Amino acid sequence: MGRLRDAKSTNHGMNTVMTHRAFGRYAEEALKAVGSEAVRLEELLSRFIIGSEVNRVNSSAGIKCEIVSGDTYEVLSRSAEYSRYSQGLFDVTVGPLVTLWGEGKETQKAPEESRIRQVLSLVDYNDLILDPGKKTAGLRRKGQSIDLGGIGKGFAADKFLHVFKEYGIPSAFTNIGGNVVALGTKPDGSPWRVGIQHPRRENALIGLVSVVDKAVVTSGDYQRYFFGSNGKRYHHILDPTTGYPVNAGLVSVTAVAANSMAADALSTILFVAGLDKGLKFLKRFPGVEAIFVDTSLKVHITDGLQECFRAAEDISFTIINK
Amino acid sequence: MKRKGKGRMLLIVLAVLVFLVVITLGGGLLYTAGEHREAKNLPIAIVDFKKLRDGTYIGEYEGGMYKWRANKVQVTVSSGRVTDIKQMNSTDPGGENTDQDSLYDRVIEAQSLQVDTISGATLTSKAYLKSVEDALLKAQAE
Repeated sequence: MGRLRDAKSTNHGMNTVMTHRAFGRYAEEALKAVGSEAVRLEELLSRFIIGSEVNRVNSSAGIKCEIVSGDTYEVLSRSAEYSRYSQGLFDVTVGPLVTLWGEGKETQKAPEESRIRQVLSLVDYNDLILDPGKKTAGLRRKGQSIDLGGIGKGFAADKFLHVFKEYGIPSAFTNIGGNVVALGTKPDGSPWRVGIQHPRRENALIGLVSVVDKAVVTSGDYQRYFFGSNGKRYHHILDPTTGYPVNAGLVSVTAVAANSMAADALSTILFVAGLDKGLKFLKRFPGVEAIFVDTSLKVHITDGLQECFRAAEDISFTIINK
Repeated sequence: MKRKGKGRMLLIVLAVLVFLVVITLGGGLLYTAGEHREAKNLPIAIVDFKKLRDGTYIGEYEGGMYKWRANKVQVTVSSGRVTDIKQMNSTDPGGENTDQDSLYDRVIEAQSLQVDTISGATLTSKAYLKSVEDALLKAQAE
């Protein structure tokens, strides 16, 4: 291990904070490259950056399709797939709804129901037009917009792994605002230990998963929220079928998968679906495991995690068969 | 002698707390949309624990752009050591779920689990630490 350098870095971007750690001869160089990759991806995919590819597609909604890069095309086509798989529980065209609730957050008031209904009519992944030959993307109707909030970080993490591999890094992790991907094992050969945030107690964990070459992504109602003047709490994961924050009996879902984009999308989909329906979805994704925390703070883990999940001291859990 | 030992423990615990959040949780912090620009301005400063003046200090954190996470703590320093941290008030909407008195225990719990990084961590713990930091900076001798 003498030649392996240990490097850590933290950078801001994608509306969050990222930390990375890499072991390898070129660990520092790899982390630097990961930092640049983060900036490059954000400049392609952020709908808030004027002139980004996603921003252009949104601006041209109802007017024309835009030529996009291979990376943007890949995110959009995979997002469209997940939207179809989940029958709209995850919807890549959720932009107008996210914007509306974002305004609600500033005024600390839930949007008017009529406004929600109006905006909801614009949310429909079937209106995302992708042409694989010309590599173009477009939205059918004016006012529609793409929002990659539920999948973009997952895509970015997969790209970061690619950078690590290019630099010959055998062992690393990247954590984009809580979306974790582990590469290889730790230098001593042991798995990476990824803590799972307790959804109701800050600075506490419900447990940890020991993983090698896996993504561990958590979606929870505690991550971003606001209180309305009525005292009701509104969190950030919106149900594209109702237009309101998801209320499916869960407070947190962690997806563990080989691919970080899949883990990112599935953690959202499972959160929106709820436990029973979520398990049915999971059946279609062999190799993807999940940790569900329900509203009474009961922890349920899928059977594939039995060996690698360790609960925190005061946490009990049940194992469910996928 | 026992008191001194306890004070040192607290000091170590606090140091662990600051380090843990800066290093371990650092990347797991999720920033609320619109507040993310503030993230750049929300580092936890390095407090020199050797230079704390005795006294009681109030530390505040204004709570970000929307003041959701406003925090106020009272830190007591005696014989140059942090001996007590009390939360005075918090507007953090998640606050009812967070028993800050046992924050130390939970930091130790996270320590005992020895995780490399955390999936799904949030910003709010940092808001709490900001107010502790504010108090400690006041306690720090010039």
